[in-house]
Amino acid sequence: MTSEPRGAARGPSQRDLEEEVDELVHLYGLEDDDELGDEFVNENMPRIEVSEYPAYVVPGREPAVGQRDWRLSGEAAEAEDLSFGGWGSEGQCQDLREAYRYTHGRASEEYECYVIPEEEDEEEAPDVFCVTCKTPIRALEKVLDEHKEHEVTPLSKALESAKDEIHRNMYRLEKQIIEMENFASHLEEVFITVEENFGRQEQNFESHYNEILETLAQKYEEKIQALVEKKKEKLEALYGQLVSCGENLDTCKELMETVEEICHEEKVDFIKDAVAMADRLRKFLETKTDVEISAQPALEDQTLDFSDVEQLLGSINTIPAPSAPVINPQAPNSATGSSVRVCWSLYSDDTVESYQLSYRPVRDGSPGTDHAESTVTVKETYCSVANLVPNTQYEFRVTAQNRAGLSPASECAVYMTAPSPPVIKSKEVRSCEEAALICWESGNLNPVDSYTVELIQAETPGASGVTESVVGIPTCESLVQLQPRQSYTIYVRALNVGGPSARSEPATVHTTGSYFRLNEQTCHPWLTISEDGLTAVRSERKTPTREPPPSSTRFTRCVAVMGNLIPVRGHHYWEVEVDERSDYTVGVAFEDVPKQEDLGANCLSWCMRHTWASPRHKYEFLHNKTTPDIRITVAPKKIGILLDYENSKLSFFNVDISQHLYTFSCQLHQFVHPCFSLEKPGCLKIHNGISVPKHVTFY
Amino acid sequence: MALKQISSNKCFGGLQKVFEHDSVELNCKMKFAIYLPPKAETGKCPALYWLSGLTCTEQNFISKSGYHQAASEHGLVVIAPDTSPRGCNIKGEDESWDFGTGAGFYVDATEHPWKTNYRMYSYVTEELPQLINANFPVDPQRMSIFGHSMGGHGALICALKNPGKYKSVSAFAPICNPVICPWGKKAFNGYLGADQSKWKAYDATHLVKSFPGSQLDILIDQGKDDQFLSDGQLLPDNFIAACTEKKIPVVFRLQEASIRKS
Repeated sequence: MTSEPRGAARGPSQRDLEEEVDELVHLYGLEDDDELGDEFVNENMPRIEVSEYPAYVVPGREPAVGQRDWRLSGEAAEAEDLSFGGWGSEGQCQDLREAYRYTHGRASEEYECYVIPEEEDEEEAPDVFCVTCKTPIRALEKVLDEHKEHEVTPLSKALESAKDEIHRNMYRLEKQIIEMENFASHLEEVFITVEENFGRQEQNFESHYNEILETLAQKYEEKIQALVEKKKEKLEALYGQLVSCGENLDTCKELMETVEEICHEEKVDFIKDAVAMADRLRKFLETKTDVEISAQPALEDQTLDFSDVEQLLGSINTIPAPSAPVINPQAPNSATGSSVRVCWSLYSDDTVESYQLSYRPVRDGSPGTDHAESTVTVKETYCSVANLVPNTQYEFRVTAQNRAGLSPASECAVYMTAPSPPVIKSKEVRSCEEAALICWESGNLNPVDSYTVELIQAETPGASGVTESVVGIPTCESLVQLQPRQSYTIYVRALNVGGPSARSEPATVHTTGSYFRLNEQTCHPWLTISEDGLTAVRSERKTPTREPPPSSTRFTRCVAVMGNLIPVRGHHYWEVEVDERSDYTVGVAFEDVPKQEDLGANCLSWCMRHTWASPRHKYEFLHNKTTPDIRITVAPKKIGILLDYENSKLSFFNVDISQHLYTFSCQLHQFVHPCFSLEKPGCLKIHNGISVPKHVTFY
Repeated sequence: MALKQISSNKCFGGLQKVFEHDSVELNCKMKFAIYLPPKAETGKCPALYWLSGLTCTEQNFISKSGYHQAASEHGLVVIAPDTSPRGCNIKGEDESWDFGTGAGFYVDATEHPWKTNYRMYSYVTEELPQLINANFPVDPQRMSIFGHSMGGHGALICALKNPGKYKSVSAFAPICNPVICPWGKKAFNGYLGADQSKWKAYDATHLVKSFPGSQLDILIDQGKDDQFLSDGQLLPDNFIAACTEKKIPVVFRLQEASIRKS
């Protein structure tokens, strides 16, 4: 990247350009906009003002240089990316470049583009654009040979596409700016880290060297002390010898004097003493005089033992073994069903090469659960441990390691994996226009903390709806409020301290009409319920069987079955397809209706009964054993039943001819369920999920 | 046709009015009652025609039945015409309570001296609806008819003779088979002459047998202890049997008490 303005290489002289620049500056009132105007003039280049960058100052570098570099890189981009090179001749190119000025607004999103007609040819302004030559021409010119065969587009269109191109390139430049800024701040961080590292090393060296010096000094003292002792010893020995020598000398002298005295004595005394003296002398001379020097003058060479100093010197370059890391408690929602993310931090001054993370499932006391410990080695201060069992607690410990050795183990932290997803009991979903009752199996052997139900309303195909969540559900069922006449996809998640499970398989609910299924548990043994829970069949019996024993849940006398209607008040509507020739009863009953009685025979049930006594159809509307006297001329094949909690009404309709048959007024203090019975072999088919038909709404 | 308002009373947020007009069919002044619910102020409402029984006028229904609240709530315009032409000065018209004045039987008489005035069938099915449609906020596509006793008979025959004209028809203790019962025989003899084949055209049970469509919704309420039932004047069973045969949808309710109240 040179600093030579490239503009100098182009056509018009600098002077011309300056004049034109000034003109433009005045023309567009940019005198006050110093940045733009000054830069324009100062740089002495015709250029596009792409944007106003904040003056980026890199620590330790010259700001001007930095800025200049940016500018040039911008210019470089300009030259390459904006492909102005292809736009016709140099002169025209330049003029046009001046002509397009963009001012960069505060929000950096607003661009104003001024298009200036060429000053030379005001009467004959180019008004079309030759795509082939990439130059603006006058319409007349099109006719000329040069451009005859060329493709031409209106100038405005060409301008538009040029503007678009410029916009795009500006965007790229801005992106580059951001990247560079990020990089610069990253560098700053590295700076700081280097300083820190240096500081640490410095301290380390200092303490090591101090230790070595102390050791040396100590050694010196010790050795000197030993030498002094030795000297003392020798001197004492020698002194001892000297003293005994002196004594010896004294004795010798004394003897000599005595002998001399004896020699001067009379002959008789001389002989006496001489013999004694001779003995003494003899004895004395017999005692050996030790003339060996007891202590050698030379002091032994001291072996200087510097091995430990050497070791210290050697260990200057080694760092101490780390301290125990600090293991973090589990971050909420950081676990999945099979993995946890364990985090820890190192003791601040330690240098660590790697960590060893050990874990095992928490012992729950039952036999055979003593699991081996697993270990994994990582370099980071976190680790995602996978292949774990859902909804289980694991103990984690971590040790840090460097060249000097292993740290002690950290404290033990317990992490828990998220649970397995629950399983929605799709077949048992009940719904109406305003709500749905979902139940599910936990999906986990051990208890979880709670469940979350997620609902997504299907709006238009392809558009993803907003997800609504119901949280903190303690049991495996939930009654959720919904909007009428919509479709919902429902998921359930289980939650524990580790986080939420993955979503369960979805269940779909349509809030059109009410949905329910026949409840097998209430079904009389002679009735068979279909797989989809919507058809009840009583087949011919070859041999009569005994009646089943009494039960509180199962019908024993009346060959009946109840449906599981959602316990929500409001309107519910369903239809039953019947056989004109069969004897059947349809209606509603409270959950605790006596199961050993007929439907309609008590005050806990309301129903319509049809009896076929050829050729007559008999219809009864039974409650508490009573029925009004009603005759119906057209036997219904499909009966519509409307249960209206608000108005305490139960109505029956002939669906095919939209005919109202009868309405009960019933006090519904509790929730009721649809009930069905077949007094003779036959079949009843239930139709669900039907909106209340218009004709029914009047009742 | 000029309508003269005779009375107007506020009732359950709506207005119970009585009008008088010169009837072309009946050649005399006729009164009718009309109830306009609150909804009629802002839009067109369905029209319900009530036909009263023997001896009644346009007053009986509006004063005794208590229908106003229901009409108000459901936004229904209820029209109750008189049961026969009045003040025609026909000899013998006031001799019996079950023939002549107050006993029009909703037929178009063919016999003299009745044929000039006693055209209640055309009045109820043609003239009156046209008058109402022109002067009141009613929806001409939504019309139903009901009545009591003789009016029940009238409602049934109007509906059966005009398939598709009425959305529904109900009857309280109607005379279902007039060609057989004493009332019917007397009336038809007088209005239509001795030729019984002409009577069938105004007999619900017979009309059902040749009714072309089944798009009809018939509701009949009958009091179990109604004396006229036991006297054989009403004969609902015949009608029901015919409907069952022809698969015409009827719900027939036999109520514990007698409904007869006029």
